[in-house]
Amino acid sequence: MNNIDGQLREIIPRLRRFAVSLTRNPSSADDLVQASLERALSNWSAKRPEGDLRAWLFSILYRQFLDAHRRSRRYARMLEFFTGRDDAQPSVERTVIAQSTLQAFDQLNTEQRALLLWVSVEGLSYKEVAEILDVPIGTVMSRLSRARQALRQLSDGEITRPSLRRLK
Amino acid sequence: MISLPPNERDLHAYVDHQLSDADRHQVEIYLAGNAEVAAQVRAWQQDAQQLRAALSGALQQPANPQLDPALIRQRLKRQSRRHLASAAMLLIAVSVGGLGGWHAREMTLVSPPLPMADAMQAYRLIAQQGMLPADYQVSDDGDMQGWLDRYFSQAHRLPNLAGAGYKPVSGRLLSTEQGPAAMVVYEDQGGHKVSFYVRPPGPKNFLLPRGSRSDGELQAEYWSDAGYNYAMVSPSDTPAAQILKQTLKF
Repeated sequence: MNNIDGQLREIIPRLRRFAVSLTRNPSSADDLVQASLERALSNWSAKRPEGDLRAWLFSILYRQFLDAHRRSRRYARMLEFFTGRDDAQPSVERTVIAQSTLQAFDQLNTEQRALLLWVSVEGLSYKEVAEILDVPIGTVMSRLSRARQALRQLSDGEITRPSLRRLK
Repeated sequence: MISLPPNERDLHAYVDHQLSDADRHQVEIYLAGNAEVAAQVRAWQQDAQQLRAALSGALQQPANPQLDPALIRQRLKRQSRRHLASAAMLLIAVSVGGLGGWHAREMTLVSPPLPMADAMQAYRLIAQQGMLPADYQVSDDGDMQGWLDRYFSQAHRLPNLAGAGYKPVSGRLLSTEQGPAAMVVYEDQGGHKVSFYVRPPGPKNFLLPRGSRSDGELQAEYWSDAGYNYAMVSPSDTPAAQILKQTLKF
């Protein structure tokens, strides 16, 4: 037990970093990490003994994030339905000239951020990423390639537009 | 083994150190002779490098004690106990409701359900049989009133029974058909127990006139205020029961 907790403690800073990159908000990131740890500890038997603990935790956190995201979108839609307005829409649209890699990174979509963090920053293998996303390795590689191109373009300072701009 | 020229995936795999040594070597030889591709690969490597640098600060956040695995384990344990407890409480509700329901067939028009039957059931289960662990135990610096206030705002203050030698020792949350309830157990030096029980009056807002009744070996004093129904339960015909009667005259 103590051994497991020791391993977890070492990974927690990485989980928090991943969570921040997904949520872009430190306090909801920690909520996400907490929920993920709770889930991991209560489903410990679901972890494959030979599997990498870090990759397993990343995958739990990623799924939790997607679920919460879906829920909050549903909630936003419900709110919109009742109040007739859309509070979830950011007030100022982000039309940004990316000046740094980090700003460019922040503009990528969720999956692209996760992919680059797992592969470029955390050094997970393609196979581990394929298992997290539950897609073939070839798919991981082509998505990674697209994510890299996108990051490259944004870092080069090209002006980007939100691809799904709402017409009002 | 990859074939030359390397395709784009091979190049990404090269950037990500996911090629075998032999393949890696092949790619390096190829890049040495193809400046344009080499520049592209270098740009990806730089992006990755910059991303690592930019995100390295995020690893240095001060630790958040809420995320400590030992604490999370404790929380999970408490939660599962609470789940178990609500399952047990469901049983109480069923047995109270079931009994009431059975009699109710004949007596609906005759008498309303017995007041605060759940408070007496809870006393039996918790104080007498010790079936449910406490959610909250008073330690030296413990504050039972504070604990209760977290769940029941503006409820009647816990009666002070210190004069009779009774002190609050533990608290427990319960779920009942009328809503969430809490029971605080008082104990004296001799281990005698009395309970203070609070819950909402239920969907029908069933407020109670001040009263007292006994059921088997137990006796309950009950009353309501604007927000909640209350009961204090003790074994009948004991000094404690007398004390409750005295104390609750206000």
